[in-house]
Amino acid sequence: MARAATTSDAFNAIAEPQRRDILVLLRAGERPVTDLAQELGMTQPRASKHLRVLREVGLVRDRKAGKQRLYGLDARGLRPVHEWTGGFERFWNESFDRLDAYVQDLKQAGQEE
Amino acid sequence: MSATGRGAPARSATADREIVISRVIDAPRELVFEAFTEVRHLSRWWGPDGFTTTTQSFEFRVGGEWDFVMHGPDGTDYTEWISWTEITPPERIALLHGESRGDPNAFESVLTFEPDGTATRIEMRTVFPTKELRDEAVERYHAIEGGRQTLSNLADYVTEVVRTGAEG
Repeated sequence: MARAATTSDAFNAIAEPQRRDILVLLRAGERPVTDLAQELGMTQPRASKHLRVLREVGLVRDRKAGKQRLYGLDARGLRPVHEWTGGFERFWNESFDRLDAYVQDLKQAGQEE
Repeated sequence: MSATGRGAPARSATADREIVISRVIDAPRELVFEAFTEVRHLSRWWGPDGFTTTTQSFEFRVGGEWDFVMHGPDGTDYTEWISWTEITPPERIALLHGESRGDPNAFESVLTFEPDGTATRIEMRTVFPTKELRDEAVERYHAIEGGRQTLSNLADYVTEVVRTGAEG
């Protein structure tokens, strides 16, 4: 299977942390680009560029509301990612994170005895 | 999709029904292993961020069981059941993992602990009997991961939107 271009693949689109930040913000509801840029501390052109990528892979949709354009989550685009990652891996990964922290505590406690 | 996998190399035969997760922990193997052997340890780390557990019974031996409830940060409870099928300190633990005793969808996971310098490499390998069981487990753990303020929260929201059919 040919590798999809960045802008047509949700996996690539959300590999960029700032684009993930945008998605998390949009989860709460529609926002204009100026809002997003300000909240995430990036320039408006940069935010627009990210939004364009997200829109092209079907993760974000936009609509005109009076003078401004509102961007909202089009979560259907994230479904392939959701299905691929799997909660089971996350379950164990996060458990191992906590195990690691806990074992470090045990180790330290052992050294202090 | 065909489930036969005819002609595929043996190594990839289980690839679509297998989950492997590994981690290097900077501590001696005995100590990492110990964290799996007592409920006072397990209750401190078992489950994703924000989860707590309440144990009904716990007996760490081959054939012994761990009956417990996992409490999600959004208040949802999940019953969990573990039974150990192999315990080889400090190298290997095999366990059955389900929702309750006799769960027909219970699956076996094997944890191995290997020294890696002064650290320990831990690996969790689960081979599900069928791809369907793997998918069911993935679905269940998606549900368990619900109600969290992370991208996984977003992912759950996605499923909900997809399932109910986005209006408007």
